[in-house]
Amino acid sequence: MLEVRDLEVAFGPVAPLSGVSFSLAKGEKLGIVGESGSGKSLTAMSVMGLLPLSGGRITGGSIVFDGQELTTLAESAYRKLRGRRLGLITQNPMTSLDPLQKIGPQVDAVAVLHLSMNASEARTRTVEILGTLRIPEPALICDRYPHQMSGGMKQRIVIAMALAADPDVLVADEPTTALDVTVQAQIIRLLDDLVKERDLALVLITHDMSVVAQTCDKVVVMYAGRAIEYGPVEAIFDAPQHPYTQALINCIPKGLSTDEHLSGISGTVPTVSNYPKGCAFHPRCDRAKNICTSERPAFITYGNNAAACHFAGDDR
Amino acid sequence: MTSNIGTVARAMTGFGNSAIGSAFGSWLGKIAGGFLVLLVLTAIFAPWITPFDYAAQNLMNSNAAPGWPHLLGTDQFGRDVLSRVIYGARTSLSVSATAIAISISVGMTLGAAAGYFGGFFERAVMTVVDLTWSFPDILIALIFVATIGPGLTSTTFAIAIAYLAQFTRLTRAQIVRLKRETFIEATINLGAKPRHILQYHLLPNAIAPVIVVGMLAIGDGIVLEATLGFFGLGAQPPTPSWGAMMSSGTAQLFLSPWVIIFPGVVVAVTVVAVNLFGDELIRALNIRDRIRGA
Amino acid sequence: MTNLLEVRNLSKKFVTPGGPFRKARAMHAVNDVSFDLAKGRVIGVVGESGCGKSTLARLILRLIEPSAGELRFEGEDLRAKTSSQMRKLRADMQMVFQDPYSAIDPRYTVARAVMEPFVVQGRSPEGSVDKEVASLLTMVGLNAGLASSFPHQISGGQKQRVGIARALALRPSLLVLDEPTASLDVSVQAQIISLLEQLRDDLGLTYLFISHDLSLVRYFCDEILVMYLGRVVEALPDTDLPARHPYTKTLMDSTFTPDPKQRRVIAPLEGEVPSPFNLPPGCAFADRCPYTTAICRTETPILTSGTTHPVACHHPL
Repeated sequence: MLEVRDLEVAFGPVAPLSGVSFSLAKGEKLGIVGESGSGKSLTAMSVMGLLPLSGGRITGGSIVFDGQELTTLAESAYRKLRGRRLGLITQNPMTSLDPLQKIGPQVDAVAVLHLSMNASEARTRTVEILGTLRIPEPALICDRYPHQMSGGMKQRIVIAMALAADPDVLVADEPTTALDVTVQAQIIRLLDDLVKERDLALVLITHDMSVVAQTCDKVVVMYAGRAIEYGPVEAIFDAPQHPYTQALINCIPKGLSTDEHLSGISGTVPTVSNYPKGCAFHPRCDRAKNICTSERPAFITYGNNAAACHFAGDDR
Repeated sequence: MTSNIGTVARAMTGFGNSAIGSAFGSWLGKIAGGFLVLLVLTAIFAPWITPFDYAAQNLMNSNAAPGWPHLLGTDQFGRDVLSRVIYGARTSLSVSATAIAISISVGMTLGAAAGYFGGFFERAVMTVVDLTWSFPDILIALIFVATIGPGLTSTTFAIAIAYLAQFTRLTRAQIVRLKRETFIEATINLGAKPRHILQYHLLPNAIAPVIVVGMLAIGDGIVLEATLGFFGLGAQPPTPSWGAMMSSGTAQLFLSPWVIIFPGVVVAVTVVAVNLFGDELIRALNIRDRIRGA
Repeated sequence: MTNLLEVRNLSKKFVTPGGPFRKARAMHAVNDVSFDLAKGRVIGVVGESGCGKSTLARLILRLIEPSAGELRFEGEDLRAKTSSQMRKLRADMQMVFQDPYSAIDPRYTVARAVMEPFVVQGRSPEGSVDKEVASLLTMVGLNAGLASSFPHQISGGQKQRVGIARALALRPSLLVLDEPTASLDVSVQAQIISLLEQLRDDLGLTYLFISHDLSLVRYFCDEILVMYLGRVVEALPDTDLPARHPYTKTLMDSTFTPDPKQRRVIAPLEGEVPSPFNLPPGCAFADRCPYTTAICRTETPILTSGTTHPVACHHPL
């Protein structure tokens, strides 16, 4: 359904993203995980064709969606795809909705625009979708304004807008970061059910390994603008091949074991202007050797995973 | 022990404000800023650079056209227009700058106190200050003229009061915004007294926009001073003032237009320069704030 | 074991005054909270946004004046202190704030920020100022070379370390940690938590740890207080104890574990935290609770010790 190959993005002279590849089929859930500044949101923006908004452009690689090359697609053609076949859920539900417009018309607009429905057909559809998102009394909600709703409810409305035109791919950029834990659990379960019911392909962008573990089928781990490990979720968590993936997993307390120790990852994520040479992770890596400072590691397939580490597969 | 506290205090001294330097960075800033620096120097060194005594009358040579030795001509009393324009810079700049300085000190004090303490005090201060804003500037000037007579003192106070509300409101808004910042709560939690909070955190962080607005207000002050001078409410003869010069020039508008044109041009250019430089300052500060906020 | 902090029936009611166009409204941000914090222990206060946990932190430090209740710090009645006595006492009870980005004055260098506590308290460090700055920065794992940096030149994690150094400058005995890692990346969060663990051992600190993250609280703390809408609904003296309050149970179930083999099919809690204004009578959780009966809607449950530990529920699990 969606295939990204060696994606490369530039903002003027700086290239914050390069060498990102993944593929996604219908009904699959892909997690893109990394710290802030790792390029995960840029990947989402590239797929959605929203890079020009912030002054970036794709300088290499390809994005193929349902047999169609997107990197060379004209903006007018992209506009027909975006919102129609590619749905986007943004991070902050508080600012994703127009505060001056009632909920109903905001969701209706998507179906009116993309499915050429008239106002009353669109409203019927809106009420139906709000219902499937387990929003109580959907018809009443349509007459409310965003400020009259809680954060979790607003995020459901944003999801409803992304679903309104019945997309094939749903890109969710940190959909639960701004929400409380119990609400996060609700939203994640909801996305899970939607993928099953509608046979969607979901790209879930998050910094939280536990969200990935609980939701996704496949994982792309990103660091300093590059994909550094890629594989099925069980393999990634069972036998992570890249030290960064291992370290990210270790950052999260697992729960009851009292002898557990959180160490964190020393140092900080490099900024675009000073990505280290060789393996970008080497200054923070405790397994780094000479080769890591000079040569960028290629992807090595090990078991079901592929990791960009010189020592992937060693001693494990 | 006390000397040690002194060392700590010295270690805490803030860093210099480089915004003005940054405003000089663009060519627009260089031209506008350069003109203003030149104007200030001219005003300061007026006695040494004026070719003639600004008050010396020479009725034999009245209304002389620009030429040699009177580069900008003479007025109806034969006084040298160039010398009077140069001395006029003194009057205009000093009156305007003094007035704005008074306005800023009173306004910042009132605004900071209102913003910090809030409650009834805040409402009382803001009501009184807003009241001064609702009077036209000329009316305020007339009140001073009526009580202490026309002259530069009245003009100074009139300008000071005219801009008081602006600085009070601006400072109050800054303080109210800053009060919500975590570092203020953190400093209170260290056991700091209100005075420390105001002196070392709130005011230093609030001062940048006040300086910019003050800069722009000096330009407006020059216009207001000229206006009052034009109506005969400001500088009294023989004190040279741009406004008064233009006023006296109206009588011979067609006979000797240079008497009114040159002070008018200087007022216009000065105000434009002040505004351009003020804009450059805002730009410089905005960039810095963005860097800081990131 | 001596108690560093004793909190009894602490309450805070915020009242928004009425006017010609609106009704006066009252909100119990913190309602009847009691607990003891023993020297050297770490108590975690956990709850969702709006549960009153941050208000509780500020009430304890008297950054917000309580409406009712008692506060004892090292045996002394805090609420009886005058504001100048309180200012002196603040040296012993410090706080680390949630947002490191705005917790340091943008005009202050790191050195000036960590020395400010001395200036405020009119004290001087034992050695020279430079030495003290260096030793404080080293203590929180920062390079002493950062002393002359401004906040905008350092990362979020480094800012939070500066915040910790500033709080520890006067060697307080109590440190209130208000979501110190909530606005940081996971890798940095783990660094900060491990730093806090180490400082606790080295300096014998006592922590009150406020967080929305139950798994983090269980990892980091000795005891847990679970708050819901201003009240403590469960007090777990040991982090491994099973939940007795249905809300705590839901919180535990909503916490994701980083293990794809332990995917939980949880029935997520429906609804959200109701508005703290105009709370219905009875148990605040009644509308979202699967075990609600008639009594839950009429009588507010009180925190009582049952078979194991205190819980405020008519039908504990």
